[in-house]
Amino acid sequence: MIQLTINGKQIEAPEGVTVLAAAKQNGIDIPTLCAQKELTPFGGCRLCIVEVQGFRVPIAACTLPISNGMVVNTETETLKKSRKFILSMLFSERNHFCPFCQVSGGDCDLQNAAYHEEMTYWPMQPGWNAYPVDTTHPYFILDNNRCILCRRCVRACGELVGNFTLAVAERGAASLIVADTNVPLGESTCIKCGTCVQSCPTGALIDRTSAYQGHERAMTQIKSVCVGCSVGCGLNLIVHDNRIVRIEGNWEAAVNHGILCEHGRYDPMQNTRERITSPMMRKNGKLEPVSWDEALGTVVDRLKPLAGQGEAGLAAIASTRLPVEALSMFKELFADGCKSQMVTSLEEGMPTAVLSAVAKKQGSFEGKLDVLRNADTVMCIGANIAKSHMVAGFLVKRALPIGMHLIQISPEAGPLDEYADISLKNKPGSDLALINGMQAVIVKEGLGRNPLEIPDMDAVIGEALQATGLNAEALAQAARMLAHAVSPVILFGKGITAQRDEKLVEALIGLARLTGAVDSERAGLLSLKGEANSTAAALLGLDEQFVLNGHQAVYVALGDDFASKRLLQSLEKAPYLVVQASYSSTLTEKADVILPVGLWSEQAGHYISLDGRVQPAEEAIHAPEGVRSNAAVLAEVAMRMNMPAKQDWKVLVHQQKSSVVLSAN
Amino acid sequence: MAKPKISTDWMCGCAGCHMSLLDMDERILQVVDLADLRSTPITDLKEPDKSGVDVGVLEGGINNSANEEVARKFRQRSKILVALGDCAVFGGVPALRNFCGVQEALQRAYVDAESNEPGCQIPNDPELATMTKTRAIHEVVPVDYNVPGCPPDADVIFYVLSELAQGRKPELKDDLLHWD
Repeated sequence: MIQLTINGKQIEAPEGVTVLAAAKQNGIDIPTLCAQKELTPFGGCRLCIVEVQGFRVPIAACTLPISNGMVVNTETETLKKSRKFILSMLFSERNHFCPFCQVSGGDCDLQNAAYHEEMTYWPMQPGWNAYPVDTTHPYFILDNNRCILCRRCVRACGELVGNFTLAVAERGAASLIVADTNVPLGESTCIKCGTCVQSCPTGALIDRTSAYQGHERAMTQIKSVCVGCSVGCGLNLIVHDNRIVRIEGNWEAAVNHGILCEHGRYDPMQNTRERITSPMMRKNGKLEPVSWDEALGTVVDRLKPLAGQGEAGLAAIASTRLPVEALSMFKELFADGCKSQMVTSLEEGMPTAVLSAVAKKQGSFEGKLDVLRNADTVMCIGANIAKSHMVAGFLVKRALPIGMHLIQISPEAGPLDEYADISLKNKPGSDLALINGMQAVIVKEGLGRNPLEIPDMDAVIGEALQATGLNAEALAQAARMLAHAVSPVILFGKGITAQRDEKLVEALIGLARLTGAVDSERAGLLSLKGEANSTAAALLGLDEQFVLNGHQAVYVALGDDFASKRLLQSLEKAPYLVVQASYSSTLTEKADVILPVGLWSEQAGHYISLDGRVQPAEEAIHAPEGVRSNAAVLAEVAMRMNMPAKQDWKVLVHQQKSSVVLSAN
Repeated sequence: MAKPKISTDWMCGCAGCHMSLLDMDERILQVVDLADLRSTPITDLKEPDKSGVDVGVLEGGINNSANEEVARKFRQRSKILVALGDCAVFGGVPALRNFCGVQEALQRAYVDAESNEPGCQIPNDPELATMTKTRAIHEVVPVDYNVPGCPPDADVIFYVLSELAQGRKPELKDDLLHWD
């Protein structure tokens, strides 16, 4: 620990920490603009200057490591005057006329900094250079005239997300934020995650849909959870007048630390589907609006007699975008109450059933996403993390330039192949042989962390090469790279779990144990699962494959999900269809009864992420009049069938052996 | 002792700062109690006294030769000169045309604009003031107090005028300081 003095106060901080960080840790705030948590300090804005005894001039605190006996002052008269002047220079650089900028009035860090330093005017007027404005991106606008060149966007694009699209072109006063080799943003390698927009301290990067909708200080911020996929990123929803104005990542959330992907940040704002606002019933072949009483009454009259009738009875299928509360009621009503054997989720256990089966035998074997933050080698098999579960992918991609090794294994080509240290394209269906082959190489070369007996290693390796079509050196290199890792992590996805082969998952666990990815201290094995509540569905036993075999009625709890072609096909012959959904679709066109329900943002509920975090989502906006929540509808149907929901989902989810360890966050 | 004299005028501005001044409502009676309100664009006297005033308040930036004259006259005749509003302090909205230049701005406004009839010309009457780059007042004459805002709140203007009228130095910070 290093001892130093800041503003006369004796403080202690660990070695390697900057003066800015040490001050903050001890409750001393130094004004900043270009500094942002988790980003490498840049030292460009010069606002955080401090006076250090023995130094010739004031120096930026964000890039100055502490040393023993340092005496620092952060608030002298000279510093106050200097900061005011620095700010006036920043303002004079480009177009920083506040009146018509929509972040003026509380949402601009530059303006707030200047107010804080009591800057009232600029001694030097601007140079009146007009800088380019890029409006080619579908979701945001880049106005170089408002940019203070803090490089937060450039650093965020690289260090937080690993995409490295943004950069600075030219030098000095002519510097510009550009995409790639100065191409329009709309034609660049930008993956539309929006992290740059969230990081921008001024109005240089503006979100299109929320611009000019009013001051954020007049709006409400609600913390919630994204239901785009199983990662479970924390959201900060900006809400006004019962509308979500903008979706941001929650900087404080443990899962994503503020980062989001296109699917979480922008897709929900682009929705064009038509809302259903009244219960509907098919009368004389046509769907007509009816009262809730009539709709629910009819549902119960038709479905209750089918209870306990096996395959001549009813089937039920639910979307995993529904919160655990609703899924639990769904299961209790149809599986326990109506004793239906065909009660499952739209995912049909594809990402989870095999994991649950293995967990029944072995207990839990998966870790938390945080292991990716310290991993030095990641083996990614059967998953395309550049396309789905993208935030997990960011955690990998951003570490590649700073030394993380990536072994990418998949029969198909993918965007990460060119960044991977080793990319193996094995024949489809050869994953088990491949993993066994890797294990054999590791044991043969004596690289295993834990003992493992493999009777005929050469035969196993031979089989692996035969089945996968890979050459010996490629397989051996991959095995060695994983074995040599200090903190390895194995990530796998639907490419593996869809094969529903327990031996395959067990082999992965074996490889993880052999290489030390999983041991008494680390759990570096993760499966990406699927949708928001994949894990919850697995824990509730909603992971059967959906097969209609003469069932007389089907209840579809679709929520705000899409009805896939596969679902439509399987429901083609359903004699009677009840759908609880938010939006009109080809499925609702076929329904006999439609029960309108709220969106993800219109209901409170819990979601269990891919690594077992049980996270609450809040009701951010109210559903339209006449629309009820998923859970409320299921509860009412259950009550009317005299099968009221009694079980507590919190108890239920702990009853099934799971591959993940459940935790609060 | 005679009450301190206050004079105001507007140049390249929208008069919004004066409207904000009027928004101080009945507190204007307190101001005229403390000071002698001399010339303003909205009262009968139109120029600050030749013998000088204590406080000169100017709204708007400097946009042409006529504005320059007003600014110089005010600086000469005021002991304390106050720049009122973003246009006076920074250049404000009119200063945006500096990004494209006087000629281009005139061409767009008088000739190319969609609402113009064909055959419109840029006015060139010799009696017209010559247009210049839009400038903040401090670029032309020294300013003693800058009061930013677009417009500054009535509270801020009341505070500044009453402080100056009582011989004190107004300090703008926290709620009183904003540029929008």
